[in-house]
Amino acid sequence: MGKLNLGQGSGGRLTSELIGKFKAQFDDVNIQRDLEDCTMISPEWAITIDGFTVSPMDFPGGNIGKLAICGGTNDLAVRGIEPKFVTLSVIAEEGLDEEELLRYGRSAASVCHELEVKLAAGDTKVVPRGTVDGLFLTVASMGQPLGKPLGMDRIKPGDRLAVTTSIGRHGATIGSIRFDLDVTGLSSDCAPLWPLVKPLAPLPGVRAMRDCTRGGLGTTLCEWAEGTGLGIEIDESSIPIDEGVSSVCDILGFDPLHLACEGCALIAYSPDDEDRIIEILRAHPSGIQATSIGTVVERHPSMVGMRTKAGGMRVVDMPVGELLPRIC
Amino acid sequence: MCLAVPHVIIDLAQDGSAMAKAGAIVREIRTDLIDDPSVGDTVLVHAGFAIEKVSPEDSEELTAMWDKIRELAGEEIDEFR
Amino acid sequence: MSSDRAKLLSSALRRLADRPTTIMEVCGTHTVSIFRQGLRSLFPENLKLISGPGCPVCVTSQGEIDGAIELATRKNVVMATYGDMMRVPGSNGTLGELRGSGSDVRVVLSAMETLRMAEEMPHKEIVFLAVGFETTAPATAALLIEARKKNLDNLSALCLHKRVPPALRALSETDGNRVDGFLLPGHVAVILGHEPFKFIPERYGIACTIAGFEADEIMLALVDLLEQIGKNRPSLTSRYDKAVRPEGNVKAVDLMNRVFNTSTSTWRGIGPIDESGMSIKEEYSLWDGSRKFDVAVRNMPEPKGCRCGEILSGTITPKECPLFGTGCTPITPVGPCMVSSEGTCSAWYRYGRKGDLKWES
Repeated sequence: MGKLNLGQGSGGRLTSELIGKFKAQFDDVNIQRDLEDCTMISPEWAITIDGFTVSPMDFPGGNIGKLAICGGTNDLAVRGIEPKFVTLSVIAEEGLDEEELLRYGRSAASVCHELEVKLAAGDTKVVPRGTVDGLFLTVASMGQPLGKPLGMDRIKPGDRLAVTTSIGRHGATIGSIRFDLDVTGLSSDCAPLWPLVKPLAPLPGVRAMRDCTRGGLGTTLCEWAEGTGLGIEIDESSIPIDEGVSSVCDILGFDPLHLACEGCALIAYSPDDEDRIIEILRAHPSGIQATSIGTVVERHPSMVGMRTKAGGMRVVDMPVGELLPRIC
Repeated sequence: MCLAVPHVIIDLAQDGSAMAKAGAIVREIRTDLIDDPSVGDTVLVHAGFAIEKVSPEDSEELTAMWDKIRELAGEEIDEFR
Repeated sequence: MSSDRAKLLSSALRRLADRPTTIMEVCGTHTVSIFRQGLRSLFPENLKLISGPGCPVCVTSQGEIDGAIELATRKNVVMATYGDMMRVPGSNGTLGELRGSGSDVRVVLSAMETLRMAEEMPHKEIVFLAVGFETTAPATAALLIEARKKNLDNLSALCLHKRVPPALRALSETDGNRVDGFLLPGHVAVILGHEPFKFIPERYGIACTIAGFEADEIMLALVDLLEQIGKNRPSLTSRYDKAVRPEGNVKAVDLMNRVFNTSTSTWRGIGPIDESGMSIKEEYSLWDGSRKFDVAVRNMPEPKGCRCGEILSGTITPKECPLFGTGCTPITPVGPCMVSSEGTCSAWYRYGRKGDLKWES
């Protein structure tokens, strides 16, 4: 066990291992265990928490304030839970422009307004220069289920899978800024998911949803395969990927399946409801690229396979460590 | 070893650099390693440098190879139809 | 590639693979391309592809990484290198971990970015950690020529470049080598041309085809290799004519020859190989990081028990290596086969443990 490295925060395999080790420090009786993005703490209330740090704090398609409320409430939305309250902790670095902080606050507030969510509590700290990178926001969100909370325990063999929009846009946007690439038409997909998925929540055919954040669609698929013990097969040619994202992947050597999304959900549902679900999603502006991408199967348990454009089959795995541009 | 991506040169500077386009990306590349770069050339770019011009068409030899493969695979391919 | 073309090539391969055949893809980018496009599932059972030394970065030796890490921790030094380099372990951690503990280590996409860094930070020493095969070495040469022209005295390169043909010679000479053919690295051939690879079929009787990186280009090259092997007429062919000229990129080779000498270099998992390294010539010694900072690149013994050399030559499988899965995992890699995320051992570790996949079409 050495010092922590960035790879352990990238959302892939190393992150899972670190979280596992940290949780093991708690006694079982002191943990409310749930493998989902948020936890039911009573029949009426669900809770979740998420910390946000992003460099740069402003990016095409959003900023850290918008990202925090979207990310925080999306973890509720994907279980069919209506976000009601958020609490917000602000840790700002000495020297940060006050107007800049307020601007992020306004962005956060505007998402709260759209979702009709109340800011229920907050905390603000300013810490010495160098102890945080600009600004850290932490959001705890609470919400109430519309029906029975969705979850991967409902997924069955034969279920179909869909994504609500094209994948990897947030990760590609941040990557392009960090490596100074000028990409036409690329912006983060950062968006609140609740308005998009609310009409799906009461449908009995909808089994589970996840927002594909750090680690991307590939990691989310692996978590479902490993969490359910079922196999998953997806079709590469059906996965929506924008040209900007694929160009960034070509040049930096990234796999689009591993790039973060901030407004894209993976949905598992009964095949009977496919047409209806896709139709509902496409009726919303952030779901126009929604499309089915694969199926839950019994063969190759716990593994994700992808039929490639070349007609082959390959294994999809979580990324190991930080995504770094490669020359080879 | 050596991920190289085809770029199209869209602008040339005096100092050996050029602007080149790959999909939705326009970026600066170096042309020190190739002869007579010109606008419109497709070049393979590796680690920021154009390492060679790419010819747009398959060579005759390659075309002949494809014919041979069709012949070789002939019977089996029918099974897919 | 359309899946129709894939079916065509897959059938052709099945026709040709009338005996067990082992082909090594020498290039890490081929390994990644074969993996990402799921090509293995299109190969006949008789055709076994093994991954070669992976990539120039993965074969950087522990001693070399240790030297770089020692230099990066010195006051005032800003080290810049390609992203792949951040995860390669020295005997005491990686450059990525070093960055985590506060040293200034930056990732660049092009060697020329360091020129700008040197101009913008005149009070810092910018060191470019120069890694890669014959494809990135000309860029380093161009950088040093430019630095000398501009008389930049705060920029230097720590040169860890390696040459491919001597490594292929070493692999071909390994006892128990089972490789019937090499899928040769297209982009190295773009620079070197055909000539430097001709000795392989001539001297060792191993079939060679230069290949591009698209699915159909790779499979086409495999068809070519299986034909050569089937007819027992190993030769050197190229199926990447759209980019590779027989004489190579003369300008790039000239630049390399102006700046570098040939030297012995140690490859992780293989050991020292004659003529496989590049050292900076006397005329450029002011920009040679190892002389400027007196960096000791010690010849570290290979990690105890690491059998990458034999895995690379196809002599043993990862499971026969005593470190596999215990001392050596993708998170704590020891040899290049595990360091490279698509390396043979890394792939076996991640997928092999769960058992073989049987995909239904």
